[in-house]
Amino acid sequence: MPALPAPTRLQSAVEALNLAWRNRVFYLFVAPFAALTIVFGLWPIALSIQVSLTASASALSPNPTYVGLANYATVLADPIFIASLWRTLWYAALAVAANLAFALGVAILIDSPRLRAGSMFFRLAIFLPVVTPDVAGYVVWRWLYDRSFGAINAAAEQLGLPAFGGLSSVDTVTIAVLIAELWHHAGFYMTIFLANLAMRDRALEEAAAIDGATTWQKWRFIILPQLRPAIVINLVYATVQFLKTFTVVVVMTKGGPAERTNFVSYYAYQLFDQGRYGEATAMASLLFAIVIALSLGAFKLSEGRAPK
Amino acid sequence: MIAQRRGFRSHATTAVLYAFATSLSLLFLYPYWWMCLGMFRNARQVTGDPLRLWPEQFDFSIFAEIQRIGGVPFWQYVANSFVITGASTLLGVVVTAAGAYALTRKPELPGFRWLRYGFLVTIMYPYMLLVIPVYIVVFKLGLLGSYAGIVLFLALGPIQFFLFDQFFRTLPREVIEAGICDGASEAQILFKIILPMAKPILATVALITFLINWSQWFPILVISRSPDTFTLPVALLAMNGELGSNFRGIMALAFVTTLPVAVLFVLAQRRVMEGMAAGAVKG
Repeated sequence: MPALPAPTRLQSAVEALNLAWRNRVFYLFVAPFAALTIVFGLWPIALSIQVSLTASASALSPNPTYVGLANYATVLADPIFIASLWRTLWYAALAVAANLAFALGVAILIDSPRLRAGSMFFRLAIFLPVVTPDVAGYVVWRWLYDRSFGAINAAAEQLGLPAFGGLSSVDTVTIAVLIAELWHHAGFYMTIFLANLAMRDRALEEAAAIDGATTWQKWRFIILPQLRPAIVINLVYATVQFLKTFTVVVVMTKGGPAERTNFVSYYAYQLFDQGRYGEATAMASLLFAIVIALSLGAFKLSEGRAPK
Repeated sequence: MIAQRRGFRSHATTAVLYAFATSLSLLFLYPYWWMCLGMFRNARQVTGDPLRLWPEQFDFSIFAEIQRIGGVPFWQYVANSFVITGASTLLGVVVTAAGAYALTRKPELPGFRWLRYGFLVTIMYPYMLLVIPVYIVVFKLGLLGSYAGIVLFLALGPIQFFLFDQFFRTLPREVIEAGICDGASEAQILFKIILPMAKPILATVALITFLINWSQWFPILVISRSPDTFTLPVALLAMNGELGSNFRGIMALAFVTTLPVAVLFVLAQRRVMEGMAAGAVKG
């Protein structure tokens, strides 16, 4: 049999077109999805990168002035941005650790066979804030922290604890924001842990019990390794979530007091509001790069350590 | 004797665990209760005793006071919420189901892999920062201030796509092949064979999309030109930002914003929690 000639570029293009034409009905199915993805996803991202390369004053005009990477240079030389970036990273690390530790603890508690009768109620209570509109939840928390209206200070007073500064003090605003966000998000991470706990291999635990393993050993060496998928998913989700912290700031603190909660996404939005489009989109691109790098890093790290 | 002691200790442990889990759950529910009380109590009553667990009176007069917010009648925010959430959910479910079906059924078609990657990039971009350039896009399309602009933007979401993707991947191929053997067209296969099987997943995705889109506020605020197209969360945010805060009004509005999704969630709790977990695990 003679060797077939290597297909030319033209031939393969014709074949591709043929294949596409024979399956045209699938293009019809996918067309609306493709249109929405492009118009409200890819185009805005491209536009955002384009705007980040232009002078703010001309950014929205038909003939914008391109300034290269000048906006990135401005942003990276802006001490407020650098401070905001460190604050965002620090807060995200803190929030991820607190949320995952809390969610894992609650999941283990609720998963306990001793609590079977109440399990559904506990899940419901911890998960309800996840589906509660974030604006509504944070508005209520804002007032709960209020010095004269709020229940939190009144409770502290009754228990004989010192007054809690809440959102008005630089020392307590971070923890106050963190608690409100934990209330809103932890139920989601808990559900992932619970799903993973339900799928675990219980025969291993019985075997360990026969071998005389202690409760601690059972958790540390049998159950925790099996929770790796949930830990990875939650780590990635929470990292992305808390790097973008925004709504809670808009509703409760407006970045204050003394810039303590001026995280990157809020700062970028403020610049956008002032018409500094070039710098705002440059910040967006930088945060995008950080989010992708960190979530890929978290993913790779867990993959690399996974026993094969 | 020892067995009895152990039995007692085990009961005591169970009681302690119950007490702890119950307190934690009540702590998580407390803000809702406090919000409800806030609707009925006036400012002096609240500041005098913020911890009171039962209102002094059931006074619904606040709902008459917030008949108009920001120059727009209250019912319009409620209607906007239902119309925008309902329309974007319907559109999102149909468009995503058809798209995910085509992408998983024929991944080898030219351009399909690129579209999948493109969608993944889109959902990786910080949503809140995507909204800024979306403003420019919507402006260029001439849809600023329109319901259409808001609904089209809210239609797509990652969890929805992953849930459909997962479902269509696990669909047995024999089902489709049997349809082909019977001489069914692709449209018939989709509408007569796949859709009836997909009913549960369609319901789950619709439910989750509704819950997610009901909570949206930032894209709606950005695409709107006036409060005429605000939904309840956006109206609540605007009221929260006003000077001379109206505590009772804010609590009443927060209550109305929360009630529909809370009821929906309690009615369909298992489906919501399992669906969200499944959608996240795939992502």
